[in-house]
Amino acid sequence: MSEPSIEAVHLSRRFGSFLAVDDVSFSVARGEIFGYLGANGAGKSTTIRMLCGLLAPTAGQARVAGFDVKTAPESVKASIGYMSQKFSLYLDLPVRANIEFFGGAYGLSGPDFAARADEVLRLCDLEHERDAITGSLPGGIRQRLALGCAILHRPAVLFLDEPTAGVDPVARRHFWRFIRALAREGTTIFVTTHYLDEAEYCGRIGLMVDGRLVALDTPGALKKRYVPDRVLAVRGRNLAEAAASLRGRPGIIAVEPFGAGLHLQVAAAEWNADSVAHALTSAGAQAVEVEAGDPTLEDVFLAVVAQPREARAP
Amino acid sequence: MNRPERFLVRVGAMASKEVMHIRRDPRTLYMALAMPVVMLLIFGFGVSFDMDHIPLVVLDGDRSDASRSLIRAVSAGHEFQIAADSDEATALRMIRRGQALAALAIPTNYERDLAAGRDGEVQLIVDGADGVVANQILSKIDGLVRAESLRRIDVAAEPPLQVKVFTLFNPEARSALFMVPGLAVYLLAVAAVLLTALTVSGEWERGSMEQLFASPVGRLEIVLGKLLPYLGLGMLQLLLVVAVGAVIFDVPIRGSTPLLFFVGFLFLVGMLGQGLFISVIARSQLVATQAGALSSLLPSLLLSGMLVPIENMPRILQALSSVIPARYFVHAMRGIMLKGTGLTILWTDLVALTIFALAILILATARFRRRLA
Repeated sequence: MSEPSIEAVHLSRRFGSFLAVDDVSFSVARGEIFGYLGANGAGKSTTIRMLCGLLAPTAGQARVAGFDVKTAPESVKASIGYMSQKFSLYLDLPVRANIEFFGGAYGLSGPDFAARADEVLRLCDLEHERDAITGSLPGGIRQRLALGCAILHRPAVLFLDEPTAGVDPVARRHFWRFIRALAREGTTIFVTTHYLDEAEYCGRIGLMVDGRLVALDTPGALKKRYVPDRVLAVRGRNLAEAAASLRGRPGIIAVEPFGAGLHLQVAAAEWNADSVAHALTSAGAQAVEVEAGDPTLEDVFLAVVAQPREARAP
Repeated sequence: MNRPERFLVRVGAMASKEVMHIRRDPRTLYMALAMPVVMLLIFGFGVSFDMDHIPLVVLDGDRSDASRSLIRAVSAGHEFQIAADSDEATALRMIRRGQALAALAIPTNYERDLAAGRDGEVQLIVDGADGVVANQILSKIDGLVRAESLRRIDVAAEPPLQVKVFTLFNPEARSALFMVPGLAVYLLAVAAVLLTALTVSGEWERGSMEQLFASPVGRLEIVLGKLLPYLGLGMLQLLLVVAVGAVIFDVPIRGSTPLLFFVGFLFLVGMLGQGLFISVIARSQLVATQAGALSSLLPSLLLSGMLVPIENMPRILQALSSVIPARYFVHAMRGIMLKGTGLTILWTDLVALTIFALAILILATARFRRRLA
């Protein structure tokens, strides 16, 4: 197997007495989409900044695209694309000028670059906006431009810090389609997000809580490990009173209202759809329909955060 | 592509982006080009240290031929204008209200005393609130009264001692000639420091500095890319100010014009470096603007020798002024424009400006950390 695209070994960063990133280790293979999840302030951006050579690690090592971030940050910077959390292009300049500037910043020039700039404009569906002033464009288009500026130099690794914050769902879907295409062509993607539905697009997910990487696996494996129980979606009438009678019975882990119905989390050994329907009906509910639901990453996230600190381990 | 080539591409990208920012922001252009010209016109026309038609109250207690002759002598020229012929109370009231700046009191018996061969004593009451004004009034009155005395003793012959004055370089004592070179320095300093301080701190505020740091653009490339466009703008500004001075105020360039622009170039690099240094440290546009204005405006106005001669300053301020680049530029500008001085005399100014420019640029680049936090 070739060298991983990103490798972090016992990476830590301290700001004064605050440990923003605490002993984080992971590796990301070439062409993988690696999602980095966590609440605000969990240490996601700090990790990205260390990996991009923007922030020196307090302890530990990291290699990105084959270069050490401590000893060769310049080589790291030349091989990566970075889209920061805050939109940071030049709003007073036209779209095309932003592309040209960032191309120049990466040392690109000449006819090859002109062709590449056109290609990126086409890829990011910006051909009609090329002369528009960036500040006049809506968030979704700006975000495509930011992405375009980050991939101009065909980076081996692309870092995206909350790339879809404030972008509408349709644009988000387009964005992810594009990201997956980039990954298929061999670009390694490291993305932070707090949209848990988006994390499903990732090959693997790392979960950050308070600076520590507490879980790391594929979305499916994480669900299996942290939500081993059955999730059931229930519809029917008079559910509210019947649900109250279920609470506290052995094997019933959670009962949550969900739309007009209920979401139940139950121990798989003790309950199934039929027994739940039966119990609810006998407690007074009518027209009960029970469907087995899929656990979401949100369930995983809540389960991980609910764990006591000592029990968390990657 | 090899390293130097990439270096040039990056500097070029930074610089042409900056040019686009400037072209799209009329405020920058106004600040750089229109403001200095407007200020030059206001100061050039408006600020004159040469006073005439000074309002004077006359208190003639004698009402004699002699007293009238003195009053005539004082008011005959364009220096003084009789604002009133009145009593002491009125004179004091008028001075307090600013309707008059001085009062000339001639006592009763003035003519009799003179005729008897005693001293004729007249009194001058001066508004001393503005020292410069008061000094001018004193010297003007002194001259006029001296002439009147000479006339009275009726010396047909020349007085035994006479000073013949030849004023070099600015014989008509025109303030414009004295002001324009100084003003040019002041305006260049303020605009150059403010413009760079704003543009770099703007990148911090916008978050684009982080984006730049994540790219392979080096700090020297950022510094040069920021500097070059404003250097061009500054040279244009200097050209404009010198041209306005020459065309409208008849300010000559008696020395070498290339030397003038070369000194201007050195001075501008230093001022741009100062703005850069401020914005590297301040990181916020508000702080950078204030620090930029303070550090350029006050020293170049007060410590450069533009308004107050450096020789008149307390020793500590004289020492302080030796690290103010505007001091050397003012000296060089006046030398080149008014006296036609060349390198043999001005080389010290050139050396001082070069040292400052290099030092501040090295300092700014060194303090410019390409890491966050």
